[in-house]
Amino acid sequence: MSVTARTLGGALIAIVGAGGASDDAAACAAAAIDGRRPQWVVRPRTLDELARVVAIAHDEGLAVVPRGAGHALALGSPPARVDVVLDLCGLDAIVEYNPDDLTVTVQAGVTAGALAAVLHDRRQTLPLDPPGWGSRTLGGIAATAAGGPLRLRYGTMRDLLLGVRFVQADGVVTWGGARVVKSVTGYDVPKLLVGALGTLGILGELTLRLHPLPEAEATCLLPLRSTEIAQDVVARLVDSPLQPSRCELLDAAALAACGLPAAAVGLVVSLGSVEGAVRAQQAMVVAEATRVRARAETMGPGFWRTYDRVLAENGPTVLRLATLATRLAATLDEVRASLGGDAGVTITGCAPLGLLRVALRQDEPAVLAKAIERLRAFVDESDGSVVVERGSTALRTSLDPWGPVPAGPLALMRALKQEFDPRGTLNPGRFVGGL
Amino acid sequence: MSLTPRFVDEMRAIVGKDAVVVSVEGRMTYECDMHTFYKGAPDVVVLPTRTEQVRAIVQACRRANTPIVPRGSGTGLIGGAMAPQGGVMVSMNRMASILEIDYGNRCATVQPGLINLWLTNAVRERGWFFAPDPSSQMVSSIGGNVSTNAGGPHCLKYGITTNHVLGLELVTGRGEVVRVGGKTLDRPGYDLTGVAVGSEGTFALVTAITVRLTHAPEAVKTVLAAFRTVIEASQVVSAAIAAGMTPAAMEMLDEAIIRAINAGTGAGYPEGAGAVLLIELDGPRAEVEVQGERAAAICREHGALSVSVARDEAERALLWKGRKEAAGAVGRLTASYLLQDAVVPRSKLPHIMREIVAIGERYGLLIANVFHAGDGNLHPMICYDDTRPDELEKAKEANEELLRACIALGGSVTGEHGMGMDKAKNLPLQYADADLNFMFRIRGVFDPARLMNPGKLLPTHPACGEGFRPQRPRLPEGTWV
Ligand SMILES: Cc1cc2nc3c(=O)[nH]c(=O)nc-3n(C[C@H](O)[C@H](O)[C@H](O)COP(=O)(O)OP(=O)(O)OC[C@H]3O[C@@H](n4cnc5c(N)ncnc54)[C@H](O)[C@@H]3O)c2cc1C
Repeated sequence: MSVTARTLGGALIAIVGAGGASDDAAACAAAAIDGRRPQWVVRPRTLDELARVVAIAHDEGLAVVPRGAGHALALGSPPARVDVVLDLCGLDAIVEYNPDDLTVTVQAGVTAGALAAVLHDRRQTLPLDPPGWGSRTLGGIAATAAGGPLRLRYGTMRDLLLGVRFVQADGVVTWGGARVVKSVTGYDVPKLLVGALGTLGILGELTLRLHPLPEAEATCLLPLRSTEIAQDVVARLVDSPLQPSRCELLDAAALAACGLPAAAVGLVVSLGSVEGAVRAQQAMVVAEATRVRARAETMGPGFWRTYDRVLAENGPTVLRLATLATRLAATLDEVRASLGGDAGVTITGCAPLGLLRVALRQDEPAVLAKAIERLRAFVDESDGSVVVERGSTALRTSLDPWGPVPAGPLALMRALKQEFDPRGTLNPGRFVGGL
Repeated sequence: MSLTPRFVDEMRAIVGKDAVVVSVEGRMTYECDMHTFYKGAPDVVVLPTRTEQVRAIVQACRRANTPIVPRGSGTGLIGGAMAPQGGVMVSMNRMASILEIDYGNRCATVQPGLINLWLTNAVRERGWFFAPDPSSQMVSSIGGNVSTNAGGPHCLKYGITTNHVLGLELVTGRGEVVRVGGKTLDRPGYDLTGVAVGSEGTFALVTAITVRLTHAPEAVKTVLAAFRTVIEASQVVSAAIAAGMTPAAMEMLDEAIIRAINAGTGAGYPEGAGAVLLIELDGPRAEVEVQGERAAAICREHGALSVSVARDEAERALLWKGRKEAAGAVGRLTASYLLQDAVVPRSKLPHIMREIVAIGERYGLLIANVFHAGDGNLHPMICYDDTRPDELEKAKEANEELLRACIALGGSVTGEHGMGMDKAKNLPLQYADADLNFMFRIRGVFDPARLMNPGKLLPTHPACGEGFRPQRPRLPEGTWV
């Protein structure tokens, strides 16, 4: 038997306090996701509160949509149902920072910027920098597996998340992983939750591996005449003992948006180490530029902030494209051919990893859907993918924003969802294959 | 359990006559891994050469409701690649080819039986290597490394096996061939590759692996410092990390090990030293030079008795010689020992070192230790005399106490060796019922019949049984009708 709407509200308020649960029309409208309004917006202050809210929603058959800072709400399919929007920004405590172990435990609502400020004093860093990272919550970054330029050197959340406390669909609080930097005790549960968009469990607390901040850093721009040359330069940098922290490709539009000198394409390479090593490596990069008759330019320390801002403001449509580093030039040609010259395309990406971000001013769903399908067919040859990272509700309704997942893995993914959230409590409908 | 002649014929039909072992002598060679406490011979051993054969084997076993035990090189230290319930052992030795090396995309695809070092050997000339380097890398298989999520000395800088696996081909317990992950990154969907790595054959047989290749560093520098006590040496580990260094490796040998090594061929470690710390730095030449000097300085500040820095490859090999001989040298101290693999936060190393000494004294047992100090991964070897009836029991108790001490410091049961039969019972030390139950259920998704490597990794525990329900949060009173 179900509780009435009134007693549901009473229960929520009993858990999170009067200020923590709202069914106010304006608040619910503001929290709508893809036009779907929740009945409640609930803001838990502790993990225990979070668990109890999820348990009630589960028992009442309500759909819960977790949100952090709201950066990635236009990722994935529009939700099938939205009853409770769970605002996780109230879980904002840094639980334990162990600088001597290079580990930190934070609640999921802590922003990457807030954590960076604390770590900076000890010259340490959590090297995760997806676009707009400063104001994104770490729970959100984990749930979306979002990465930025630094992943070239440090990997992604997948490589940095040591342990995780999460709330299962029925409200059971569960822990996976460890608090130390090395552990193979039991299954690697954190891996299953990274990038799962909260569909198997809501992330409550994360234990993360930190890195020392490099003592010195230098960044240089290589303006190049063609994408073929860029691909060739990337190949040579990769096949060398250079240890770049970042190596981003910027097309002409991206160069312009960052206020850089015009070129067909640019590579921005940064090196982090001790002073002498940075200089020596920089000389190697400059020599590589000279080889292809380009002039490397040293960039100021503020460049990566500018770049982050340009990426964060990209839109209204952003595609995430994964291909092979060896197919970079061909893929860029295909992107241009598919989307046409005047679609307002800006392309950036981590070239050595074969990853591209394609930002478009175009948001006409029919046109975009056709172009995306064509691109998907192209990257399919290398088992690549094209994901709509940001896009209008109309676009994400007219096509699967994730693209196809092969039948074998999809069957296992469905079985996992069926096992852990058979009632569809957690973020229903937003993930791959309608999970 | 014994299998019918018809079943054995079915195996022969799948893999061929010469790839099926049924003789008692033949099967006995497969009865254990390197943890020889745990014995259990399979009823039949099959040696497939192709994925399609592996699939047919799993399907036949499902029909016959027979356990399936994957085996790589059998170098596990956990009671993993052995068959406590009999059944079919699938040896991956004949699936040992390199399928593709793709330098442009920094990856290679290999079969699971390939020996770890052979991959590095194949790419070394072009300046590349496969970073996970378990000390067993000359003999252990990459499939085994993936299944145990193996570590090694240089994992301090480069990360453990999972950080280098891009994709897998699996034959799941459902009897299906599934390819997860691959050369391109960021595939939409759950990270099935990530959760399958380290699953010790309880989800699936791994039949192909795509791994990341790493470019060789420009320079390597090895520093060896001797200390009066292992506690002093432990403090260096924290100091190096506080100084912002990321060494490639930081390995520690304690007094007992040093004695054992010096008694053998001899790496010439200083007599009377209570600990030796081996620090290796790699990367850009200028960085390695600076960090090498800093490492040496930190060692001196912490009262090192001696500090040597290798000037060339030959000297470097000499400094590593003792470390590499350590496992064998223990044989000079004792005929039998229990090996542990627990982890503590590295800042707690001095604390746990004192504890180890105290536990050893309390039980009257020698505890020797050679371990991956940089990431707090201990390898205490609890030595006992197996001719004395009560010593083994004492050693087990000491082992248990030490493990609990590590967990109490916020540590982990196993850093790299894995669970197998040996550590399955310890899983509840680190995880609560709900956590265990979650793992039990993941396993059921990949292997609903629970035929894959039964008795390993997960303990016999109520939370790892059908029908168990973890405790749910307490809900406000009076809201339920
Ligand atoms: C001297 C020595 C030093 C060692 N040093 C280290 C070290 O530094 N770091 C470390 O991590 N380990 C170390 N080990 C332990 C061991 O070598 C590793 O665990 C290794 O990864 C096991 O590989 P293997 O091929 O021998 O696997 P096996 O022992 O054959 O199997 C290990 C487990 O994986 C499963 N398995 C094997 N192959 C497959 C497959 N293809 N598909 C599915 N499941 C499979 C088995 O069922 C078993 O549970 C050491 C061992 C020795 C003897």
